[in-house]
Amino acid sequence: MLTYIVRRILLSIPILFGVALISFLLVYLSPGDPLAQFRVPNVRPEVLERLEEIYGFGKPLHEQFFGFITNYVQIWNPDAWGLSITHRRPVLELVVERMPPTLLLMGTSLAITVIVAIPLGMLAAIKQYSLADKIVTTFATIGYAMPSFVLGTYLLIVGAIWLGVFPFRGMTSSLSVAGDPLDIAWHLVLPVSSLAIQSIAGWSRYIRATMLEVLHQDYIRTARAKGLGANRVNFRHALRNALIPVITLFGLSLPALLGGAVITEGIFSWPGLGSFGLQAIGQRDYPVIMAFVLLGGIAVVIGNLIADILYGIVDPRIKY
Amino acid sequence: MAESTYEARRVQIEDTEDIDRTEVRSYWTLARQRFVHHRLAVIGAITLVVLIVAALVVPLIAGDTTGVSASRSFGAAEVISEDGELTLALLGYSRTGNNLFGQLMAATGTSLMIAFAAVLIIVLIGILIGSVAGFAGGWVDNILMRVVDIALAMPGLFIIIAFVAFWGASVWTVILAIGITGWTLAARLVRAEFLSLREADYVQAARALGATPRRIILRHMLPPALAPIIVAASLGVADSVVLEAALSFIGFGIPPTQASLGTLLNQAFEYLNRDPILVLFPSVVLILIVLAANFMGDGMRDALDPRQRVEQR
Repeated sequence: MLTYIVRRILLSIPILFGVALISFLLVYLSPGDPLAQFRVPNVRPEVLERLEEIYGFGKPLHEQFFGFITNYVQIWNPDAWGLSITHRRPVLELVVERMPPTLLLMGTSLAITVIVAIPLGMLAAIKQYSLADKIVTTFATIGYAMPSFVLGTYLLIVGAIWLGVFPFRGMTSSLSVAGDPLDIAWHLVLPVSSLAIQSIAGWSRYIRATMLEVLHQDYIRTARAKGLGANRVNFRHALRNALIPVITLFGLSLPALLGGAVITEGIFSWPGLGSFGLQAIGQRDYPVIMAFVLLGGIAVVIGNLIADILYGIVDPRIKY
Repeated sequence: MAESTYEARRVQIEDTEDIDRTEVRSYWTLARQRFVHHRLAVIGAITLVVLIVAALVVPLIAGDTTGVSASRSFGAAEVISEDGELTLALLGYSRTGNNLFGQLMAATGTSLMIAFAAVLIIVLIGILIGSVAGFAGGWVDNILMRVVDIALAMPGLFIIIAFVAFWGASVWTVILAIGITGWTLAARLVRAEFLSLREADYVQAARALGATPRRIILRHMLPPALAPIIVAASLGVADSVVLEAALSFIGFGIPPTQASLGTLLNQAFEYLNRDPILVLFPSVVLILIVLAANFMGDGMRDALDPRQRVEQR
């Protein structure tokens, strides 16, 4: 197991290197000037020259990339991920600062998704073709077809404009960062619903399908034939096996914890990593953009690794 | 001698003329029949065709559909104007005199055009990379699949936004951005199909007969690999329409002066407090397209590749 994990981590290094290289080329080869905001008459030429020197924009591309990548791995150094051009502070510090709201938002919606979608999918599969099944499948199909930003807008109309119950945007009512938990929870309702409803739709469809597949297996028929009760068959024999493929889904959702909700965060002005990344694109803050892309890559690699490890734990047929 | 045997056999064949024969049905005939029996898929196909026709025709009739305007005046809905002209202003006019239904259909046209073009790029790149990897195998396959891994590890939406923002917001950059980030699934499908076809007897036979790799790929391996590509393409249309709308919605997509479902939504969001109903029209069209494309994709998967059918509908 340990050798497997170590090997997987080693194998992910070239992938992350590739992610860094491609995103570096994408960002640094694109037209436009990241220092454009400083090219105004009241910034002296010496200052501009120093800025160019700090960020190294004048150097040849391969030197820039080499310098970038050697800095990047020195995670213990607070300046390792460079300085944000607009915020004039270390990127690493800014990223860490913006992480908790995103983790809170995405973690809550993932937890709700798991709690709601598994029973829904199971119910639909056990009572296939029943009214309950039809309701769940219809909901799942519509929810799946409704993009989260459309759903978010609908929720804003109903919850914030018509009912006037929920806040329109932001994470806290006052401007202070540390709000009281109830206030934050109140602000969480709409964005979390818009994210959760969509993923519940996708998950319950998937769980229904895997559960149906398992229910048609021979060992389920055997279990029923030897007189086990419906609950025991459904929960102990079927559900456990139906959940194995769901772990893949879980692993795939983990990267979204860090930056998947770019658009939802934008709609609700949620002060997390996603809206931070959007601002960085708007302001051509290259170091921040690179940090965002690489963080995404690392999250994908880790998510896949966690899914594979969980697979080995829950499914004794898989050995590493 | 040989002549007479042939004659004899011919007579024999003619004798069997009146025997009950089942009609020979080709793969595509069968696929079409299976598709037609898939009710939701047919509904999806009809919806898409209606939307495409409306997107092409309505803006021609509807007069001024240019620009994106969000303000709406109530009660002006009409089909034929007071002068007896056909206007199809089902949703009334904006304060600046734009025919809102015409505008919605023009926007639908732009969004569908972007989605189709992006899917074309996705399919072409997918076929190219997938077929090379699957046909060559070995280290070529290995390298190309690591490229796929890298592409999968990148935050797609964020890359698309950055690409469009840096290279200038236009219809073309949006198409390119969606196209060059979305090919991984198509490539994997083609590769998987090619890897199994490579060892198929008839491909080995073609190789033994001295067919060039080009001929083997184009004539013998690509046609059977088309089924998963067609399915992936129709699902890709749904994804691409959503991506365009999302990009334009947050203001990083096509320029706000051009009507697309995304820019209409963006404008409607600005007016959310005053006129929330405006969001409804573009978003409903968007959801319709996604549903229709998904149903069509499901139907085509069942029709083209019955082995993959999960459950009876």
